[in-house]
Amino acid sequence: MAKAKDSSAPILALNDVSKVFGGYRALHDVSLNVYPGQVLCLLGDNGAGKSTLIKVLSGFHQPTSGTLEWEGEEANFKSPKDANDRGIATVHQFGGTFPLMTIGRSFFVGVEPTKGWGPFKRFNKKYANETAVREMQALGITRVTDGDRLIGSLSGGERQASAIARAVHFGAKVLILDEPTAALGVKEATHVLRIIMQAKLKGIAVILVTHNVTHALTVGDHFAVLIRGEKADDFKKGERTREQITDLMAGGEAMAELEEELNTLTGTINRVN
Amino acid sequence: MAGQTKSRFDFGTLLRRPEFGALIGTIVVFVFFSVAGGEPFTDLGGWAAWLNVASELGIIALPVALIMIAGDLDLSVGSTIAAGGVTMAVVSGFFDVPTPIGVVAGLAFGALIGFINGIIIVRTNLPSFVVTLATQFAVFGLVLGLCKLITGTVAVNVKADEGVKAIFGTLLFGNFETAIVIWAVLALLVAWILIKTKYGNWIYAIGGDMVSAKATGIPVNKVRVWLFVGSGTASALVGVIQASLYDSAQVSGGASFVFNSIIAVVVGGVLLTGGYGSVVGVILGTMTFAIVSQGIFFTGWDSDWASLILGGLLLVAVLTNNTFRRLAFSSGKKKG
Amino acid sequence: MKKSLTVKFAAAFAVAALSLTGINATAANAAGGNKIYVLGGGDAFFAVVKNGFESAALSVKAGGDTPIWLGLQNYDNIGPDMVKLIQTAVAQGADAIALPIWDAAAEGPEIKKAVAKGIKVIAYNAGEPVMKKYGASAYIGTNEYTAGVKAGEYLASMGKKNAICVNDQPASANIKQRCDGLAKGEKNKGGKSTQLSLPATAFGNATAIANAVKGAITKDKTINAVFTISSADCDASVVGVKAAGSKAAIGSFDLSENILNRVKNGEQLVAVDQQGWLQGFLATSTAWQYAAYGILPATTTILTGPALITKANAATVIAGVKTGQR
Repeated sequence: MAKAKDSSAPILALNDVSKVFGGYRALHDVSLNVYPGQVLCLLGDNGAGKSTLIKVLSGFHQPTSGTLEWEGEEANFKSPKDANDRGIATVHQFGGTFPLMTIGRSFFVGVEPTKGWGPFKRFNKKYANETAVREMQALGITRVTDGDRLIGSLSGGERQASAIARAVHFGAKVLILDEPTAALGVKEATHVLRIIMQAKLKGIAVILVTHNVTHALTVGDHFAVLIRGEKADDFKKGERTREQITDLMAGGEAMAELEEELNTLTGTINRVN
Repeated sequence: MAGQTKSRFDFGTLLRRPEFGALIGTIVVFVFFSVAGGEPFTDLGGWAAWLNVASELGIIALPVALIMIAGDLDLSVGSTIAAGGVTMAVVSGFFDVPTPIGVVAGLAFGALIGFINGIIIVRTNLPSFVVTLATQFAVFGLVLGLCKLITGTVAVNVKADEGVKAIFGTLLFGNFETAIVIWAVLALLVAWILIKTKYGNWIYAIGGDMVSAKATGIPVNKVRVWLFVGSGTASALVGVIQASLYDSAQVSGGASFVFNSIIAVVVGGVLLTGGYGSVVGVILGTMTFAIVSQGIFFTGWDSDWASLILGGLLLVAVLTNNTFRRLAFSSGKKKG
Repeated sequence: MKKSLTVKFAAAFAVAALSLTGINATAANAAGGNKIYVLGGGDAFFAVVKNGFESAALSVKAGGDTPIWLGLQNYDNIGPDMVKLIQTAVAQGADAIALPIWDAAAEGPEIKKAVAKGIKVIAYNAGEPVMKKYGASAYIGTNEYTAGVKAGEYLASMGKKNAICVNDQPASANIKQRCDGLAKGEKNKGGKSTQLSLPATAFGNATAIANAVKGAITKDKTINAVFTISSADCDASVVGVKAAGSKAAIGSFDLSENILNRVKNGEQLVAVDQQGWLQGFLATSTAWQYAAYGILPATTTILTGPALITKANAATVIAGVKTGQR
């Protein structure tokens, strides 16, 4: 535990990890260090291998070659559950993955709180709803007050928040966020970015997968750029300019467009804060 | 909706209950046939006529609903009904083994069919639609072949002994099948599982997103296999009930239950795509179906039009239901 | 037991496997001699027909020829499925085919083609009015309409002058004739009969049938006879009549052990038999005799029914049902 809190040692590390599907090499000798209390941004265009990398980190895939280290020791994530049990939580693009379940129920899927005894042991709905709402409010989602609401009735940002709140509540040490802002409007996206900062401040190692350089630069401490399955660059905050990163990712395309979006966004953040 | 607290009765919340649409549908068809059928439909005998049909359908619709909420389908219930009834009739009617043993054999056969369905589905990852469709045919052929081989006929007579008849095949007050009581008990059990146990949460999660459900550590495959064992046993139970009630079992029996059970469950508001549904809704859907399919015979109308009226009213029921469910999905209570 | 248990089970699994194709072939297609194909259905009635076929098959085999049974698994798609069975028989080199003509429009052209190829065709069970038109050489079976008329007249003569005819296959022309005949018979003697058509959602569901019957006779309390078109529906209707507290008389087409016991005990008034076993036996042997030796019966129509079974003769029929001859 003490080790995990020490931000100088990586909680999770990849050493020369490759993943081959059939004849296709999705990942090629990728090495990464993930530190507690830091946000690692994984950048890359579509098809660069980001999803494969997440699936290796969250136990869906085992690496073809190379090793994983968890809290300083070599580890092998046998299944998503195995990774989950160690404290790795993954949140997908659309956040809460059970849109037709209530907030309270989906919050506790797989770890249902019960009350009562023996055959009368039953799902503790009151506790589940209260906890879920409390944890979401703690992340600044004050609009949600009823744990019986369906996840599907929440906004995209609220759904992300509910999933992050869940991970935080169950003591996730590593939080993998797969394109959390991709489907969101600008305002919602800034809200999610703020929640990411809150998670980071709690000492959680956050892996933020995105192809939005602006969002990455706003919250990231550490950056890795993937191109065609290889790590093309790896740098700390302030070591590269925005232009350098976008150039690397997309070869300078859509630069003007990005710049414009970027200006709008920084404007919004300033106003919100 | 501003200013209302959770504990107070809230009509908006009631409107958004997933069962509300189903309730409206049931009331509409009941009123319709009360008017068209008059007293014979509304008196005790009339209630029994559709409750009897509802109870047998409901015994199957409940476990089928669980399967559908978990994102699967079971199309093998038809031949499983025949398998349960014919097994009981062959064991106790043809070989004269005491009826309780015949009942257990019938139920065990049903459970086995469900188990095989489940195992094939989770091992091969084939869609349950295809697998259970295949078992529907395979079981029919197996029952037909074995039954003719053993008894030389496809309709086997059986006289259930008094104990079995009292539980499965008696008309209470000369009208109401004991199946109604069995249905009620089963409904309570299924509601308890779905709402009050962690297994209920697992079933919703599996139907919502199987991959994510697996990732949270839910034993997804085990749950799915058990659900199929449930529907297999329940289907065989209906076969046993009908054999006890009518003193005979036919290889061809039960075929109409395949679609009837799906109709009842869908009218009851369960999503065909899984992840959503409730026991109360399924009960109401079953009742709606039974009222519509039996009510016609109390109207005195030319029964040649029965199928048309049935189809039309079911469509109306599903449409009503959908309208109200959309309300449920629209954002719930908002902070004022 | 001529066959060993292993063979029996192997056969059962073969049947199960074949059921997926909707077609059920029983006998092996051995080389040599004449091939006599008998096409039929797969319900309780045809189980008895097939028993008759099997008894005749012994003689066919003894004569050095090959009897083959092709059966439908269900009646959902009766016309096209029968066409397929006929095509199968023709393709496999049939010398004679005995078959029910259920769907004349679909089966007729195929029968004509078979006859043109020199195949001897015998109609049985259904198709009496059209059999000559398509070149079939003889008809063996009942006349559904006549059977209905006879039953209707009997009901009326017993004072049961307001009947319903429960029909769970209202779209089948063959079955409709039974109800039409019943209505005619009642009318002849001053009574009436209406058809109670059940929707497809009730097919094979005894409870739905029982409660539909109950609904109809509760609505119209003057109904004093309930007639059903099959034996399974009859078991269900008895429960419906009882639950309605009605004293309506029960009658049915076709036989089963339950029906005969009820007739014997006075709980059922009458059953109309068309002697399925005899149809299977006569159809098979007529087709065989014609193909192998060129002999036809003197009359082109041999009626195996209708025979009314009442309390007077029920006991003697029961023995035959138990062993699959009635």
